[in-house]
Amino acid sequence: MDAVVEARGVVKRYGATTALSGATVTIGGGVTGLLGSNGAGKTTLLGMLLGLHRPDSGELRVLGLDPSKAGPEVRARVGYAPEHHELPPDMSAYDLVRHLAEVHGLPHREAVDRASDVLWLVGLGEERLRPVGTMSTGQRQRVKLAAALGHDPLLLLLDEPTDGLDPTQRDAMLALIKRVGHEFGIDIVLSSHLLDEVERICDQVVILAGGVVAAAGPLEELRGSGTGLVVEVDGGAEHLAAALHTRGLPVSLVGPRRVEVGPIDGDDGPVYDIVRDVVAEVGVPLRNLRARRASLEDVFLGLDHSGDGLGSNPEPAAAAAGTATSAGPAR
Amino acid sequence: MTTTGPADAHIADRGYRRYTGPRLGPRAAKRALYVASLQRALGLRRKARYKVIPILVAVMAYLPAAVFVGVSALVPQEVGRNLQVDYGNYYGFITAAIVLFVAATVPDVMCTDRRTGMLGLYLAAPLTRDGYLAAKSAAVTTVLAVVTLGPPLLLLIGYSLVEAGPAWPVDGVVLVVRMIAAGLTVALWYTALAMAVCCLTDRRGLASAGIALGTLGSAAVVSALVDGAKLSPWLRAADLFNLPFELVRRIYGQPAEFPDLATVPLFLAALAWVVAAAVLVRTTYQRLQVTK
Repeated sequence: MDAVVEARGVVKRYGATTALSGATVTIGGGVTGLLGSNGAGKTTLLGMLLGLHRPDSGELRVLGLDPSKAGPEVRARVGYAPEHHELPPDMSAYDLVRHLAEVHGLPHREAVDRASDVLWLVGLGEERLRPVGTMSTGQRQRVKLAAALGHDPLLLLLDEPTDGLDPTQRDAMLALIKRVGHEFGIDIVLSSHLLDEVERICDQVVILAGGVVAAAGPLEELRGSGTGLVVEVDGGAEHLAAALHTRGLPVSLVGPRRVEVGPIDGDDGPVYDIVRDVVAEVGVPLRNLRARRASLEDVFLGLDHSGDGLGSNPEPAAAAAGTATSAGPAR
Repeated sequence: MTTTGPADAHIADRGYRRYTGPRLGPRAAKRALYVASLQRALGLRRKARYKVIPILVAVMAYLPAAVFVGVSALVPQEVGRNLQVDYGNYYGFITAAIVLFVAATVPDVMCTDRRTGMLGLYLAAPLTRDGYLAAKSAAVTTVLAVVTLGPPLLLLIGYSLVEAGPAWPVDGVVLVVRMIAAGLTVALWYTALAMAVCCLTDRRGLASAGIALGTLGSAAVVSALVDGAKLSPWLRAADLFNLPFELVRRIYGQPAEFPDLATVPLFLAALAWVVAAAVLVRTTYQRLQVTK
């Protein structure tokens, strides 16, 4: 898969503040989550991808072009939905989307057609002639998405697209973004500080911390290949945990129906056999037996957010300064 | 019960269409922004309340011209000639309308984009910051020309129709050139001044007040210093209200209001103001953070 974004040693300073201090990452196609706490450099990186800020040093390429030199060419093929919800209150959603499509270089007739189409696609077809100022935050988020889609971009940059939404609106927006990324075939870089939403819709993740890429890669790789087993049973978990402990396995009881085994050094195949046999011996009903993987939250919390290096979680950290593609391995 | 319509009727889902046609680039982006800014300033494609002020002010600017032409048409020519107004002096009747128009329209064109986040969306398009400012300043100048160039042109057309105009072609062409130069001078002056005020705030009301107070206030202060305290007449170069209309008098070759000041230095002083305003606007916009 071709790289959509390539950054090598990108540094950006604002006076004494360093926003990015050597970010290196390759982002492939699909939906990519750009994660980081507030001030990690997410919005700065998005601005640089649009060519709005020039890196102090390092190299940046978006869709194969250098945005600081070919900004208009890059921006003609990129759609951007900012974090803020302010939009011209007296302008109708339709006028706004049509106008921005024209500003992105579409002929008037085409902009008129596409403005209606994309507003229907984001679920605002009936509301398209309403002034944006009368719309809810959820509707404005959809208007921003429609405006970013109006000129048929190759790449969408979405800055906190679920900010300010209630849980129902958030689910709907995430489903919409997932549809845009997977059905419409538009690559998406989605900035967020909410781990669960990134985990739900993204194919790969880039984690920014302290101005550097602390980890990057497909979600499965970041979570690691398994650090043990999870055993879920219908009761009797404490008996099972005790029996497994007598076999010399590192065991922890997680609630009345769940036992976790690990960490395990080396091949975990024999451990599955032992667990199976012990479950049969103890006689507890087995519901689920699977590899234990780190959640994205585990990955995130395991990183060193100071930007000095990587944290204590060795497996996800292995993808630091690496490749966020759904096809390629993490470096 | 009967049903109508074809049996295979269904709701068509057009889905998402890819666009494979031409992308028109930065020039089209600037043109789209220029047209949208013109429409915004004049209240086009907006509710009726947004059209009230532009229409009222336009009436204030054009009405005297219509009256002068009407008088010339209705009264005998020898009497009417005495009642005619000089083209350069016509600005004396519409200075209030011009300042009001500037204060009412330019902040709406300039401040709203920053307050509503539209600037960030524009700069995420093929526009550059300089391209954005070029489109905006062209739109503002065009809008202001509606009241700085349109009324004298109406006067000229009206006088010509009632045979009270200049001798054509020579005098007429010279007059038209002077008219365009004078109208554009006033429009460019107020474009620079108003954009400079607007770049300092994203609040329309504050910018409108700043434009009105800046122009009228400077005239009052300069008058007090020069006419009252008898300081150097060159301080009149800081009179932001009267300076452009003094330039208009010089363009039309009419008696100067500030006879102590030579024409070329006066034009250079005005140019310096415009350049300073342009530098302020450009510097401010280059530094604006737009991705938040």
